[in-house]
Amino acid sequence: MTASPTPNYPDEQQLIAALIAGDDRAFCEIIMRFQHIMLSIARAICGETFADDVVQDAWVAIHKNIVKFEQRSSLKTWVITIVSNEAKARLRRESRKVSLEELDGETPGSYLDSANFKPDGHWRSATPMWGCESPEELLEETQLQCCINKTLNLLPPAQKIAFMLRDIEQQSFEEICEVLQVSAANVRVLVHRARLSLMQVIDCYQETGTC
Amino acid sequence: MLIFKLLTCQEVANLASDYLDKHTDGKLSLKIRVHLMMCANCRRFVKHLRITTAAAPHLVYKNTSPIDAEAILKKIKERS
Repeated sequence: MTASPTPNYPDEQQLIAALIAGDDRAFCEIIMRFQHIMLSIARAICGETFADDVVQDAWVAIHKNIVKFEQRSSLKTWVITIVSNEAKARLRRESRKVSLEELDGETPGSYLDSANFKPDGHWRSATPMWGCESPEELLEETQLQCCINKTLNLLPPAQKIAFMLRDIEQQSFEEICEVLQVSAANVRVLVHRARLSLMQVIDCYQETGTC
Repeated sequence: MLIFKLLTCQEVANLASDYLDKHTDGKLSLKIRVHLMMCANCRRFVKHLRITTAAAPHLVYKNTSPIDAEAILKKIKERS
């Protein structure tokens, strides 16, 4: 199974019931749905070297514990929480930093740098002009998409995860707090910083045609 | 006469995501809107942030390899 053009279980309740009943087809469906985001989260937390192992461990845990899934969160949030915990546990075993808050950092030269503002708080210079007016126009540029993907991979891990869960996976802030175990205010700051970093890449591309 | 202190561009830049995500209360949203009416730089900044956020769901997972779910499931079962 390498592609899933139409989901077999469009309704989450049916999917969960089939998973609990041990239906392999249902399990393959959640693998198709969540493998990419799980790999991205594992890579962001514990790096490329351990990501595949961590995701496999997470799938084993999901397979074993699906019968105990109490549906206090969505299936996606539950799955993401498991891979996030596996990745953090792996980090602990590797005696590296474990707090996602520690994995954040200011991006040098960010839009929010005080240097971009006059002492009275107004912009020091005009904000850049873009040649596009909509997300659709932006997405027409394949090279720009590569630049954005590259930048996304360079973001501090906590920013990358918060951005992926919020803006790409469209998870609620409450669900992201649960996964990352940080406050809502913290998640909002992480998402904002990530968005601004991507916006700056677009600024650069609009001005120079390169990343 | 204004009954509140005007926001600076730096404050608007800091609050822009909260504003777009509707995490600013009524009074703060009004202050931001007043600032945006007067400031072309911040209007552009917020517009670009909105475009970036709206484009995000389509920007990733483009170059990811295909998933062989059955092979993954087989490995999971071997380890269970």
